[in-house]
Amino acid sequence: MTRLLIEPFQVGFMQRALLAVLLLGVLAGAVGVFVVLRRLAFVGDALTHTVFPGVVIAFLAGQSIFLGALAAGLASALLLTVLTANRRVTADAALAILLTSFFAVGVVLVSRLQSYTADLSAFLFGRVLAVDPSELAQTGLVAAVVLATLVVLRKELLLRAFDPDGAAAMGYRVDLLDLVLNVLIALVVVAAVKAVGTVLVIALIVVPAATARLLTDRVASMVALACGLGALGGWLGLAVSYDVSIQRGVRLASGATIVVILVGFFVVALATGPARRALARRRDSVGVRSPRGGAR
Amino acid sequence: MSWLTDAFSGSFAQRALLEAVMVGVLCGVVGVHVLLRRLPFLTLALGHATFPGVVLAALAGVNLLLGAGVFGVLVVVAVALLGAGDRIDETSAIGVVLAGTFALGVLLLSAQAGFTRDLSAYLVGSIVTVQLGDLYITAVTGVVVLVALALLHKELVLGAFDRDGLAALGYPGVALDLVMLLLIEAVVVTSVPAVGTILSVALIAAPAATARLWTDRLGVTMALAAVLGAASGAIGLALSRHWNVAAGATIVLVASAMFAVSVVVAPRHGAVRELLVRRRAGRGASLAA
Repeated sequence: MTRLLIEPFQVGFMQRALLAVLLLGVLAGAVGVFVVLRRLAFVGDALTHTVFPGVVIAFLAGQSIFLGALAAGLASALLLTVLTANRRVTADAALAILLTSFFAVGVVLVSRLQSYTADLSAFLFGRVLAVDPSELAQTGLVAAVVLATLVVLRKELLLRAFDPDGAAAMGYRVDLLDLVLNVLIALVVVAAVKAVGTVLVIALIVVPAATARLLTDRVASMVALACGLGALGGWLGLAVSYDVSIQRGVRLASGATIVVILVGFFVVALATGPARRALARRRDSVGVRSPRGGAR
Repeated sequence: MSWLTDAFSGSFAQRALLEAVMVGVLCGVVGVHVLLRRLPFLTLALGHATFPGVVLAALAGVNLLLGAGVFGVLVVVAVALLGAGDRIDETSAIGVVLAGTFALGVLLLSAQAGFTRDLSAYLVGSIVTVQLGDLYITAVTGVVVLVALALLHKELVLGAFDRDGLAALGYPGVALDLVMLLLIEAVVVTSVPAVGTILSVALIAAPAATARLWTDRLGVTMALAAVLGAASGAIGLALSRHWNVAAGATIVLVASAMFAVSVVVAPRHGAVRELLVRRRAGRGASLAA
């Protein structure tokens, strides 16, 4: 166990990679809870794809990939709002078209390069082992900003999630709250783009939060579980992909390994669901009034 | 216009054109159903999910479309089962399945370093290398899907608008939903070699959404979507040869450009028209006052 979980992280680049996935796991888990509660998985997925051309343009122009991704993320959040203002265009159609056309711009630009497929896969799937200290600092900064915003606005965002009419009646700007959440999702994508790539970020956001939703009915424990599962999946995924590559000589992409492990958590939570609920029911009927009675 | 005719000299270019036009027609028509039923996200997931199927099929040495098709069916079943539970909503279920299947594909691909076939081409499509066999598959799938859509037109449309009404009339609602999903999947799987796993949903959603902006009648919408899809395929292919950029992505951009223009200028539902209507209403109000 020590060999698998501790030993790989004695080298500098593996420590940086571990720090990056732990940060991203917590960050994406926390935002993911709101994405799952608001049923915004499609919006999240669209934002992960629309950031892609920003990354490519910044790369071609020799600018910071971080800034390019940020600009593209904000632009797509704005365009989405404009498009859905037309009543004839449903939100899901607008999302699909926006997602694919932004993504296509990125592909067209990359296809002009000599090293077409290699560059494409780096942008799509990330290179967590090549994360350098300055990128780590950027990720940390984004994580601090996003988590602070979530803490400050948690009541408003939750009210918006469960009762949008009530929030509007109480005088909250619902459209502004929606924009804030979209920008937070875009920021997570921006922070994760170098490490896990544009395509797999959506897994970090949705899968741990959906798993936590299976395990608990309380929002606070859902956030804690999602963050914990996200970080744990990142750690295990890195360790497994390193171990298999070194010991068995089979190269496993670290980003994809992380996601497969996260989905593994989800499947376990799903499969043990009936058993856990039966157990809880039995406990409820034995103790006459248990504190969790009537939960489900 | 010489760039348009020049682009299609040579037999491989003609094959690519034929494929692009057939896929465009097919995606356009099915796209109208996808939008009616609000299924773009599931369609996107189907596209992503074909990826591990393609990698596995390549490993096993069977036809890539077969692997893609089997995984597509798995996705439909997984989403249906997950969404049926009361704890996970359908959107999150699709998100989990999409992420999981796609990561599985990447994982399998990464384990196969130095693979003989360049499967990353499947992510963004490679219509230029389309073979005669692919053309036959697209043609046969196209005929089957279009005939099925024509035969079941009334039932499928009723099911999209009024599920309870369909059930009350004694039609098997669940079976019809399943047929619709399988038809969508067949179209996604056949269009993936041309435009790629990630972009195939564009050719399904964009022409149909554009057509809806121009007309209110369903039959006309479908015909228009088919024409727009085919035109996107042909024009996008020609432009990509002209500028030497990725074909699948250019086709998608042409389809999105048509949509973007239509959102602004479409006669019934465009932004310009809505602005005029609002201003006229405003003037009428001020006259009345």
